[in-house]
Amino acid sequence: MSQATLTASRARHTLGPWARIAVLAICALLTLGPVIWTVSTSLRTPAESFDLPPKIIPTSPTIESYRGVFDQIDVWLLALNSTLVTALIAVGQMITAGLAGYAFARLEFRFKKPLFGLVLATMMVPLQVTIVPVFLVLKSMGLTDTLLGLIIPAFPTAFGTFLMRQYFLGMPKDLGEAAMLDGCGPWRTFRSVYAPLATPGLAIVGVLAFNYHWNEFFRPLILETSGQNYTLPLGLVSLQGNLGTGSISVVLAGVVLSMIPAVAVFVVGQRPLREGITSAGVNR
Amino acid sequence: MTDSHFSRRALMRYGAYGAGAAALAGTAASWDRLTGADIPGRDDGSLVVATLGPAYGPAAIRTLTEGFKKVHPDIKLRINAVQATDWSDFFAKILTQIAAGTAPDLVYVATEGVQLFAQRLGVALDKWVKRDADELREYFADVHPSLVESMMYEGSLYQLPVEFNAADIYLNSQVLKRAGASFPAADWTRDDFTALLRDMKKSSGSQFTPYFWTNRLWGGVVPWLFANDTNLLSESKAPGGSWLWDSFYPAADRQGRGGGYRWTTPQATHERVEEAYDYLASLIQEDLCTRPEGGNGQNLIGVFSTGRVGVTPAGGFWAGGLNLAGMKDGSFDVQYFPRWRTQRMQFGAAGYALLRTSKLQDEAWEFIKFASRRDTLMRLFETNQTTPARRSMLTADRYREMGPSHWQVFYDTLDKFPDTGPIPAPPQVAEVEQVLLKHTGTALASRRSVAPALRRMQSDLEKAMERDV
Amino acid sequence: MTNTQIPAVRPQQQVAEAAPAPRPSARERGTRLLAALFLAPTIVGIVIFTVVPIVGSIVLSLFHWNVIDSPTFAGAANYREMVNDSTVLVSFRNTLVFMVLAVALQLLVALTLALAVNGRMPVWLRSVFRSAFFFPLILSAASISVVMKYLFNQDFGLVNWLLGLIGIAPVPWLTSENSAMAAVILVYVWQQFGFSFLLFVGGLNNIPKEIHEAASLDGATGLRKHLSVTLPLLSPTLLVASVVGIINALQVFEQPYVLTNGGPGDSTRTVVMVIYETAFEQLRFGEASAVGVLLFVLVMAVTALQFRLSRRFVHYQ
Repeated sequence: MSQATLTASRARHTLGPWARIAVLAICALLTLGPVIWTVSTSLRTPAESFDLPPKIIPTSPTIESYRGVFDQIDVWLLALNSTLVTALIAVGQMITAGLAGYAFARLEFRFKKPLFGLVLATMMVPLQVTIVPVFLVLKSMGLTDTLLGLIIPAFPTAFGTFLMRQYFLGMPKDLGEAAMLDGCGPWRTFRSVYAPLATPGLAIVGVLAFNYHWNEFFRPLILETSGQNYTLPLGLVSLQGNLGTGSISVVLAGVVLSMIPAVAVFVVGQRPLREGITSAGVNR
Repeated sequence: MTDSHFSRRALMRYGAYGAGAAALAGTAASWDRLTGADIPGRDDGSLVVATLGPAYGPAAIRTLTEGFKKVHPDIKLRINAVQATDWSDFFAKILTQIAAGTAPDLVYVATEGVQLFAQRLGVALDKWVKRDADELREYFADVHPSLVESMMYEGSLYQLPVEFNAADIYLNSQVLKRAGASFPAADWTRDDFTALLRDMKKSSGSQFTPYFWTNRLWGGVVPWLFANDTNLLSESKAPGGSWLWDSFYPAADRQGRGGGYRWTTPQATHERVEEAYDYLASLIQEDLCTRPEGGNGQNLIGVFSTGRVGVTPAGGFWAGGLNLAGMKDGSFDVQYFPRWRTQRMQFGAAGYALLRTSKLQDEAWEFIKFASRRDTLMRLFETNQTTPARRSMLTADRYREMGPSHWQVFYDTLDKFPDTGPIPAPPQVAEVEQVLLKHTGTALASRRSVAPALRRMQSDLEKAMERDV
Repeated sequence: MTNTQIPAVRPQQQVAEAAPAPRPSARERGTRLLAALFLAPTIVGIVIFTVVPIVGSIVLSLFHWNVIDSPTFAGAANYREMVNDSTVLVSFRNTLVFMVLAVALQLLVALTLALAVNGRMPVWLRSVFRSAFFFPLILSAASISVVMKYLFNQDFGLVNWLLGLIGIAPVPWLTSENSAMAAVILVYVWQQFGFSFLLFVGGLNNIPKEIHEAASLDGATGLRKHLSVTLPLLSPTLLVASVVGIINALQVFEQPYVLTNGGPGDSTRTVVMVIYETAFEQLRFGEASAVGVLLFVLVMAVTALQFRLSRRFVHYQ
């Protein structure tokens, strides 16, 4: 195994827990450093923005840069677009993944295995590979340069389906059998027995979708060409200015603004997000 | 424990219902947003004008729309501010719009894309210019013929320039003072320039680099090629164009004018090109100059305004930019690019190009005329975010508060140096620029890498120029 | 690609197969109808937005098409052109180099930190560390790359200033062919390692305590314990982390696009950047599709290879 693992493990056992915690603390600081720098620089004047060492606590904090962001781009419209796209994709994925996941977990039908294989296989197909024909498909549907063009193709989710299938499989089978004995049809069984239990799983799908699509850059870059249809990450690019006239503080203020919703979801939804990621790698 | 668990689950369930209901309601309420139907003028027969977003903020868009409405209340107008980091990014977005079947009628195009659009997608303005000659006389009298010529392709005019930026040299006064150097003379040479950089370096700390430049077509290597009397692609002029020169310009100004530039044979391995790269590589070696970064030079304003950089090439657009960054008049000034074999300088200009696919060509022409009117440009360029193409707009008044004090340099770069020309931008500009940026980056790694990198540049340029666009 | 190759699915697959086939009945028809309805959105979506485009890519790659004029048949010309185009070839090399280094570094950092966090410490501290390492994952790769571009600036950036404190001369991170890829990898790994980290933390939690205790009783300590006990038990997680890591790495776009735009030279140009530039900056849709098809083949090949190797090295509990 590698050098770093060796050293780390050795450190762990020769220097005791405090050394290990100190090393971890330094790593955590390095991880959060760029974010701290971004926030603090956005609060400094442009003239101070290149000061080294950086003043982490700005001597005379100013929100001038934030005003600059609102002057230069229509932040509210960008935020509305990002919210619409992200929220609708999240809800859409919860629905498609919930339904398909249930079907694969609890319903019997023909071609179940190949269909599930098809769904899983799409995980291996990077979106970037097919962007050219996807662009043409959307064009034929009249959906280029619309937010719907971002939303609709994102509805099917292989990972979400996989996750929800696992989730439904994890529920006791006899619940459904009992419901059937009580005379419930397949729909009633789903509706009143299993679906209510699936909310935490759906929350994972929703939070993952939010995290991915709030930050998405590649598809909007290609599909949205009208300024009015830009999402936040795309709009931020324009803050960099043309031919070098953008102010670094304003750019960073824009970055901070776009982070806020993601951080909010991080605070509220950290657990489902973590569980979602972890579940990708754990045999249950 | 179980209770709280249960209530949490119930809460989540109602939360899910709530979210579902909100999503439905939200979708319904925002359907127009989702389909883009709420964008004014979309698919309703409006004249659509695509502009470069960062250069055209919300205020500029209002100025254009409201002003145009007063002159032509019958023509519906929609300005589509396309957000992009630089011109090639912008052109990519416009090409994508065309591919998506949502092409605008007019596109704001800089020199970088004049021929690209003219050759493949554009409509020549000749017939309208001839028709409205009397109306346009005042415009042409106010605009330098070099700018107009840069908007011609194979004898026809494709745009009316409204702004331009020449690569002049900005100097930070504080850094000059620190170095005990005086402001350079108008006819300073390349060696004066090098000496100045050395003085600046000596008098400053380690967090200082005298010369900063950005690796791009405009203002990167090209001004040095021009100063060394060469070019990336061999340059000649297309025949024709006398229809324009004869009717709008006095005999003295017609001299040597043609039907637009032709950039053809790549000459990256030309010895003067190599010489220019050698010079830049030596500056980098001596720590007098930054290694060129790609992109749009985001760092530039910050480092220049705080005295971490002393000298950089920029156009009139920087007067406004530095002001925004908090630099007052007197803290910076501007001079011509230094002389080497020649003092030929480079510029880029911009105007509106009319697309072949437009069904509103006459209306589009009306907008082109409106957009080049003096009063329109006065309102549009209030903050000196660029150099107006109209000479009469460059006045002491305009630059009194912002500086620079040598503001005359901006237009004199054209008036006093009649051979000052546009950056090389043939129809294959996308590939050419990519090749240039790519190999400039590698050429300047060390002095030894110049020659091999230029050889690769040459062969890539040859391939790019062969390509049918 | 069949589902049986996804290790995490295996146990359930058997459960599903073991379910007794119900007698044909009204209930069964109802079930089938419900299944069809439930699957329709996902399957229809996949067909329209994945299957059709894959076929479309292959078809498009046989044509020259600038989208404005009508397409002309090109046969294998796009492929021939591609293998003679140094930019395309370099972009594939870059992508592979990036993939190997970025994934290796990412797994290494993540595993080291996961083992360290798994050690004894107050619960609150552990959750602080966990949150910190996980945090970059929630940020937008594009915006964070804008930030990193400032930090990695050779002359004015914080990174070189910090290196200067420990006596290292300024590195031309983004402007030299030798170091630009390193900068891109660092920025990418900085943002991505939290993903593998979480997988490993989850995997470590799943290892029964008794196994460790038994190992300790047998006299295994420290490093040896990890190498001989922890790692084999963690190998399924390692497989998933590397599969996901590799697929993500092969698609890298935002970081090089913002940080270096592929330069200097072609030193950080990735395959996806070439697809983007060819299609949407030069309107050469056929050529771009040919590159896409090749990337697709590469992804498939790498994934298949990985699962093959995993049969030998992955241990299931």
